[in-house]
Order: sequence, then structure tokens, then C-alpha cells
Amino acid sequence: MANKVKVRICVGTSCFVMGAAQIQSLEFNAPADIADHIEIVEERCMSLCKDIKRKYRNGPFVFVNDELVEEATYEKVVGKIREQLKKS
Amino acid sequence: MNDALFIEIGSAQQQKYGEDCFGDTIYSKKIPEERRIISILSDGLGSGVKANILSSMTTRMAMKFVESNMELMHSSEVMMDALPVCQIRKISYATFSVVDTQLDGKTRIFEMDNPPFMLIRDDKALNVRYREIYSERWKDRTINISQVTNLEEDRIILMSDGVTQAGLGNRLYPLGWQRQGCLDFVLEKIRKNPTISASDLAQAIVQEALNKEVEKKAGDDISCVVLYFRKPRKLLVLTGPPFDEKRDAEFAELVSSYDGKTAVCGGTTANIIERELCLKCEVDKTSFDEHIPMCSTMEGVDLVTEGILTLTDVYRMLKEGIDPDKNNGATRLAKLLLDSDKIDFVVGTKINIAHQDPNLPMELEIRRNIVKKIVRILQDKYLKEITTRYI
Repeated sequence: MANKVKVRICVGTSCFVMGAAQIQSLEFNAPADIADHIEIVEERCMSLCKDIKRKYRNGPFVFVNDELVEEATYEKVVGKIREQLKKS
Repeated sequence: MNDALFIEIGSAQQQKYGEDCFGDTIYSKKIPEERRIISILSDGLGSGVKANILSSMTTRMAMKFVESNMELMHSSEVMMDALPVCQIRKISYATFSVVDTQLDGKTRIFEMDNPPFMLIRDDKALNVRYREIYSERWKDRTINISQVTNLEEDRIILMSDGVTQAGLGNRLYPLGWQRQGCLDFVLEKIRKNPTISASDLAQAIVQEALNKEVEKKAGDDISCVVLYFRKPRKLLVLTGPPFDEKRDAEFAELVSSYDGKTAVCGGTTANIIERELCLKCEVDKTSFDEHIPMCSTMEGVDLVTEGILTLTDVYRMLKEGIDPDKNNGATRLAKLLLDSDKIDFVVGTKINIAHQDPNLPMELEIRRNIVKKIVRILQDKYLKEITTRYI
């Protein structure tokens, strides 16, 4: 089996209130097709929120492997994971 | 050495089964200028609202009198005159126990009609001699006065008769739990856990008394106050990045040089400490909660949590009581705060621009404000000694 997709979720304050908590639930109830192929890592504030306006859009910020998902939602992240899995 | 003595006060109460409010009242106050703490437990006649009013009046009056060092007999006569007379029993009635203690260890205890207080030293109960005084006008009332010099690791326990009479009528305890039964329980608890905190011990006593009752329904108001004399437990709480980045190193240094427990609240704050002290910091998945971001673990730091949301929830719990069955960052921090006596807050004042987004929930307060609220409640309600420093 290919390497696991690494999902890094920012759980800093603003990402958390904007919905990172829902994305965290991937750990417990991910869709069956991807459940075994992901590795969830929570990170303390990745400091991306400090550069909103200049560089980034809004949080929550999630990295799927090395690709950044901005304004992430559960669906967006699952979509991105599937994309990555297809690639590998 | 006595200068360093700290008094932790913990109390627990259970109202009579079927009543909405407590018939007993507990009131403690710290007078910092005089290095003095006064704690009063009063049991009002009967239960429910009437008893609550009687006992509240008694504690408030007694506090005023003791605080202003008024002559004891005279003040208790005033109190008995002031309390309304019970229609049925023709007595004006609320009992009280007062502990008036100074931080150099000198303690006076006045008791009227409550079960005698317990003084526990070196895992044993000491019998303290007392003097009885009588009132001319209220013949059947006597007040016991005792005086002790407290040492480190002493505990003084006050209780209402709801504790000693718990289980009255129960086949196992026809005469109730009795003072001796309670004392044995306390000694056993302390032997098992010599540093048990005052609030934990008070809670345990009340819980055990309740267990003795028929069907665990309290037959009377059950209350208990524990005063625990000990060396202060220190806690340093760092929250928020310093305003000026150049001070990050100095800020992190505070953690490594502190002689007590440390807590770091804030993701960015933790990142700074991690970077400056070259410590490894990892997210702790056992603290998962839908509403509070997870904690992390860092070597040399007792607790690492997220910032504002956690602090806001801590403030809520300090007001309403700690959620019993949770183990998230906020409950851990709240427990850590309550287990400490001297708490030093160091608050970084840099403002996180992302938090000022109007789309975010209103609860996202400015750090300084929420810390101020927490400090105030810790001082007023929990009598903690607190310093705050902004950086």
C-alpha cells in the first residue's frame, strides 16, 4: 500500500472556532475508503492566520501532504485527500 | 518559617433532600493587611429557605464582629437578639463555628452548638482544651473558645451536625456516623494521601456522609470546611506572546527558572517557548474535545493549552463549577489553578490580528480582559494570592 496521506490540521484558536474541530473528527469517523490511508496530526497555531490579507485567505488551515487547504471544511479536506490518494 | 505558611480553605455542602437551598452557610474572608483569615460555618434551625436566612444572617454578623475584634460574649448576644425566634421551639437559633487565624499560626476558634472542630496534626487528632463562656441573657447557650498555634501540615475541620448525624436511623448507624466515625474516615484519607487538598477532603467527607444516609438522601444539611495549613504551592501561567519580539527569550526564561509548576496557555506562546528553550512539544490526543482545542505536552512544563477559548471556558468553570467528567485543556487548567495557592500570571499583550475578525464568535475576548476576570474570581472566591505582570 502506498504511503499514508499526512493531514496536518491547525488547531490554533481562530482555526478551531472556524471549524477545525469538525475536521479533526476525521480521526474517528473518516469515510471508509480513506480511513486507513490517512494520518491525522494536529498542530498548534501554524501562524498562517497572522498573514491573512497579505498571503493567505481565512482559516481553518489544513495541509494535506504538502498542499495547503484554506477555509477548509470536512468535505474539502476529504476531497483533497482522495485527490492525493489517486495521485499515489 | 511561619511567614511562609499558607492556608487553603476548601468547603463542600449538600442540602437536605428535597430542599432547594442550603440551610447551612459557609463564609470565608481574607484580610490581607492583617495577614488574617476568618472562616465561619453556621447551621440554621430547620432546613430550606428559613434556615438559609438564619444561617446567612449569623455568618454575616459574626464576620463583622470577629473582623472588628469585638468582645465575643457581647457580639454573640447581639446576634441571638437579632435572629428571629422560632415559632415552634421558642429559640432564636443558628449555630456557628468561627475560625479566626493569622498567618503566623495563631488561631482562635469559637463554637456554639456545632459538633466540635477537629485539629489534625501528624496524622493524629489533637484534643484541644477549651474554655466555656455563658451568656447572662441566653442561659442555655454556651460558647467554647479554644486557641491553638498552627504548624505546617495542620488541618482544621469544621462540620455541621448533618455530618455527624448522617445515617441516623439507618440500621448500620443507629446513632448516625458520629464524630468519631468521621474522624476515622478523615485520618484514613490523610494517611492514604498526605497532601490531599482542602477542597478534595471536604468533598470526600460530605460524599461519605451522604453515603451513610438511607437511600443516600440527606436527612439534614451536610456541610464541611477544611483549613489546610501548608507551604504555598506555586504556579506560573504564561499566556500570550510578548508585545516586543525581542523579549521572547526573557519570556521563555521565566519558565525554566521558576520554582513551582508552570502552565502555558496559547498556541503561539507555546511555539515561542518551544523555540527559545529548544523543547519538544507534542499535541496530546487524550485531551480531545469538540469545544476546546487539545492540550500539548512539553518537557518541563506541567500543562500546555490553547489560549483564549480555554481561558474563557476556565473562567466559566470557576464561576459555575468544574465539569466533572471532562478531561480537556480547560478542566485541566482549572484544576491546576485551584490546586495552587500562589499564582503568577505573565500576560503577553501582543494582539492576534486574526482574532479581531468580526466573523469570529463573540467569545474571543482580548486576552488581558479574560485574564483580569480570572484573576478577580480566583482572588475573591477562592482566596488565592495572585500577581499579574504584562509583558
